[in-house]
Amino acid sequence: MLISLDWLKDYVDINCSVDELCAKLVSVGFEVEEVIKQADNCKKCVVGKIEKLEPHPDADKLQICQINIGSEIIQIVTGANNVKVGDLVPVALDGSDLPCGMHIKKGKLRGVASNGMLCSGEELKLTEDDYKGAGVYGIMILNEDYPLGTDINQVIGSDDIILDIGVTANRPDCNSVFGIAREVATVLNLPLKMPSLKYEVSKYENTASVKVENSELCPRYMLSMVKNVVIKPSPKYIQKRLKAVGLRPINNIVDITNYVLMEIGQPMHSFDLNNVANGQIIVRNAKDGEQIKLLNGETYKLEKDMLVIADSEKPSVIAGVMGGMFSGINENTKEIIFESAKFLRESIRRTSRKLNVRSDSSTRYERGIDLASQEIGMHRALQLIYETNSGDICKGIKDVCKESLQPKQITCPAAKINQILGIEVPTSEMVRILNSLQIKTKLNKDNLECVVPLYRDDIESANDLAEEIIRLYGYDHINCTLMDSGRQTIGGKTISQQNVDNVKNLLIGEGMNETYSYSFTTPKMFDLLEVAEDSDLRKTVKLLNPLGEDMSIMRTTLMHSMIEIMAKNITRGNKCARFFEFANTYMPKQLPITEQPIETQKLVLGVYGETEDFYTLKGIVENMIAYFGVTASYVRPNCSFLHPGISADIMVDGKCVGVFGEVRPDITAKYDIKNKIYIAEINIDLLNSLYDNSYVFKPIPKYPTVERDLAVVVEESVTAEQLISVATKYAGKMLSNVNIFDIYRGKGIEKGYKSVAIKFEFTSYEKTMTDDEINSKMNKIIKMLDSELNAKLR
Amino acid sequence: MENRIKEILNKALTLIDDSENVENLEKINQIRVQFLGKNGELTSLLRGMKDIAPELKPIIGKFVNEARDQITNRIESRIAELTAKSIAQKLNSESVDITLSSKRNNKGGLHPCSIVINEILSIFTQMGFQVKQGPEVETDFFNFQTLNIPKDHPAREMQDTFYINDELLLRTHTSPMQARVMISEKPPIRIVNPGKVYRPDDDATHSPMFQQIEGLVVDKGITMCDLKGILDTFAKALFNENTKTRLRPSFFPFTEPSVEVDVTCAICGGKGCRICKGTGWIEILGAGIVNPKVLENCGIDSEVYSGFAFGLGIERIAMIKYGIPDMRILFDNDIRFLKQFN
Repeated sequence: MLISLDWLKDYVDINCSVDELCAKLVSVGFEVEEVIKQADNCKKCVVGKIEKLEPHPDADKLQICQINIGSEIIQIVTGANNVKVGDLVPVALDGSDLPCGMHIKKGKLRGVASNGMLCSGEELKLTEDDYKGAGVYGIMILNEDYPLGTDINQVIGSDDIILDIGVTANRPDCNSVFGIAREVATVLNLPLKMPSLKYEVSKYENTASVKVENSELCPRYMLSMVKNVVIKPSPKYIQKRLKAVGLRPINNIVDITNYVLMEIGQPMHSFDLNNVANGQIIVRNAKDGEQIKLLNGETYKLEKDMLVIADSEKPSVIAGVMGGMFSGINENTKEIIFESAKFLRESIRRTSRKLNVRSDSSTRYERGIDLASQEIGMHRALQLIYETNSGDICKGIKDVCKESLQPKQITCPAAKINQILGIEVPTSEMVRILNSLQIKTKLNKDNLECVVPLYRDDIESANDLAEEIIRLYGYDHINCTLMDSGRQTIGGKTISQQNVDNVKNLLIGEGMNETYSYSFTTPKMFDLLEVAEDSDLRKTVKLLNPLGEDMSIMRTTLMHSMIEIMAKNITRGNKCARFFEFANTYMPKQLPITEQPIETQKLVLGVYGETEDFYTLKGIVENMIAYFGVTASYVRPNCSFLHPGISADIMVDGKCVGVFGEVRPDITAKYDIKNKIYIAEINIDLLNSLYDNSYVFKPIPKYPTVERDLAVVVEESVTAEQLISVATKYAGKMLSNVNIFDIYRGKGIEKGYKSVAIKFEFTSYEKTMTDDEINSKMNKIIKMLDSELNAKLR
Repeated sequence: MENRIKEILNKALTLIDDSENVENLEKINQIRVQFLGKNGELTSLLRGMKDIAPELKPIIGKFVNEARDQITNRIESRIAELTAKSIAQKLNSESVDITLSSKRNNKGGLHPCSIVINEILSIFTQMGFQVKQGPEVETDFFNFQTLNIPKDHPAREMQDTFYINDELLLRTHTSPMQARVMISEKPPIRIVNPGKVYRPDDDATHSPMFQQIEGLVVDKGITMCDLKGILDTFAKALFNENTKTRLRPSFFPFTEPSVEVDVTCAICGGKGCRICKGTGWIEILGAGIVNPKVLENCGIDSEVYSGFAFGLGIERIAMIKYGIPDMRILFDNDIRFLKQFN
């Protein structure tokens, strides 16, 4: 909310600096987001009088001026030819800054010293509307008399200070100059002056009539009439203030409605009586399909929950949102009616959103208008008509109000306030503070009896009163206590949360870095990953209002995001990286979606670089799976974007907990990746449900472990798992460990075959094993490997 | 006999004394064998004792023993000396460039936001807060209505929202978890709720996805002073012991009174710097006394119980803590950025 300090001073005689004022406002809950000093735009530019003009000796188009700036006479060379001796002009002095962005320094023009510049309207960013004469080609000649040396900001009315004040949603009453003035008066402990509401009415009667058909959406509607209207520009001070808060002055009538909106916070609307059939105003719901062409030139089709202001024939305004193209006033308007109404904010908000039409008025209504403002706003508008001689005010204001104008009464034990705050605010202070806020308060026994003014809709309960009291009493009175009356609780994380923390630490130990990517992604990802048309992955939660198509669906897999992260890093020349991310996937329970989707916590891993391969990623996966205390087996997956020969499903207890492998080269090509990249996605929620940390220790064997190595030649298709499973099956219970430590292909081995070296460890808890015992086990293993897998001893 | 012993002794000692070099370690052993071995010179002499007169036996025996002890001692001390010398030589000759890079496996690291989350959760869990997590796709009911933000209320303007349909949306704050916990659990409640939240903003200080931590306490007799005390303790733990806390009035529909919590700038200690824009204070939290309407909405008797709630943005804290100027780099996932936090 932009507030002009000059305007604010109409209502409070502010007796402190701007900085102090801002600090005070912040301390009571109004953040001052910016302080705009208009004069900062234009520095060291003053009124000067041309005393002498002579031609430049070396340039036909230049003139040498002697200019009186009050304190001295300075010489300036100008190229303009619209100035004459005696003219008052804006003079930019040496070192000046102009609104157009120019910085002026003294110098020489064709050998003649020039100590500044005469300014055009354009250089001061002024138009003919801002200052008469600003629009001419050439120097702006001032049209009134000013003391020489006067700061030009005073001449052009650009000497105000504007505060950009953040008004919270609970204080709609402060979205106006007068509303802020109320707070300023309270916080500075100064008297508040009331707006001038005095005017004289003419002999004419207000002949218009009002009918409110829907008083729920329109709790109050006031209407006045002005005859013999003179359409003309507003007085300077009104124009200046409107411009200061970003509004364009139009004419006296439009300006008055805007002025009241800014000053009192009440949206006003003016109708040309000529366009209101039979002088009859009807506040009613729109008819389904009814059309209206608005001031913005667009035609809108209305729905029946929208409120319109109509006459007996047609709707002319969408209530509180925007006026119709032909209902407003124009230069020929002679009779007007003023509307000052309260519309239900929810209704305005809905209508404005549905039609996508917003205005200063709708914005103001959406924040909420109290029931008292209509009357003040109306009288203020009429007072301004009177003050500016803009027409004859008719007798009688129509006022249709279905709600009580009685202020709300609240009774609250003073002790309750201190109970909320935890400190002892003296009751006398409570009473003083509330009264200073116009909340008329008496202490009756130990109770605060409060009468809340109509404009403080937000105050309903003891907590609301406590807030009013403490924000003025001062938050620095609040002490630090540590819930002395509270009961002890056990804090901490659930086992599942701890598991995630521990797995993160494990992955860090594996040299991986954590990433964060957006939960929303592009629907194109399914085609990029060549996901089957009927796959569940394609059934997604879609956003109604995404920031863009590429952020429009909630992801059902984290794989695409991780491939993108790797692609980005590869493009940027990062040679190798290991990434992990924990995030949710979102699966709708049904489509179209009617309830919250299933959110599943997943872990995605991505690695690339010279030393990475399937097995480095498998190692990470295995360590992670082992953390959960479960055993995994690996089977070939059916995954559209992974290399069919270099990928695996991770199976635990017959359930697939994840998949990993190399991304297919034709898929990576679509991401502009030439490198091999490896990726895994693991269902952490599922692993958490399988988590088993029960373990009973095994004694350390007393007898030495015996090792035996074996090399067999098998066909390429025989897997490590097959070899180990056969070996394990026939090795007996003393086999404590078995693993493949080398695979050899090449010289001495027939093509299509491989030599596999297997290490066996035998351990007995009962005795030292003899060579014979071990040999017989090894012979059995060799024999069975041969018969079951056709493995020949090398 | 006596002279013979002396002679052997001298011969042995001379041989030992001559073996000064490290290379003589082996030779010393030979000397031991030569004199003290089974067939050594001194041993042989002892064997000849049987021919000596019995009355001389003790004297000669003593001589021989003394000579043997002397040789043994001299050998031992020479061995010790040479061993020490040999080790010293070995150590002198073996030296590595200790500044060469190591052979460690480079460790990875958490995202800076996770580091911040962990620190914050650790502080609160130590103060008895339980960590709760809730759904990111929320209902309008929990995200807004239960929290005293009815449909078409101006407070909705405070939080632009990603909608899925009229009733479902991406949560705009972690606050819905307040309501979910209050409905399902009985006081005393002390929870913190970290998680992703979503709002349609995208610039240097806003990301359409970011993270918050929400806190909630509901118990008997909880006051504004408790709110300040807990958050002051938290700020001191997160930044440092000298951090001060300041409350400013604000507005959130689900707390009343509502406050913004500022802490003294951790960078300049409150003197004023670029990070705190010269004010010495940094706004890090929104908080307040739980609005009794919200307690009642969740079935908690507001006449008996009261509470406070607070929420803070993780990215903002990470940006302050690490001096990161642009929020977008936190979601850029460049390994050169991420590795800085290893």
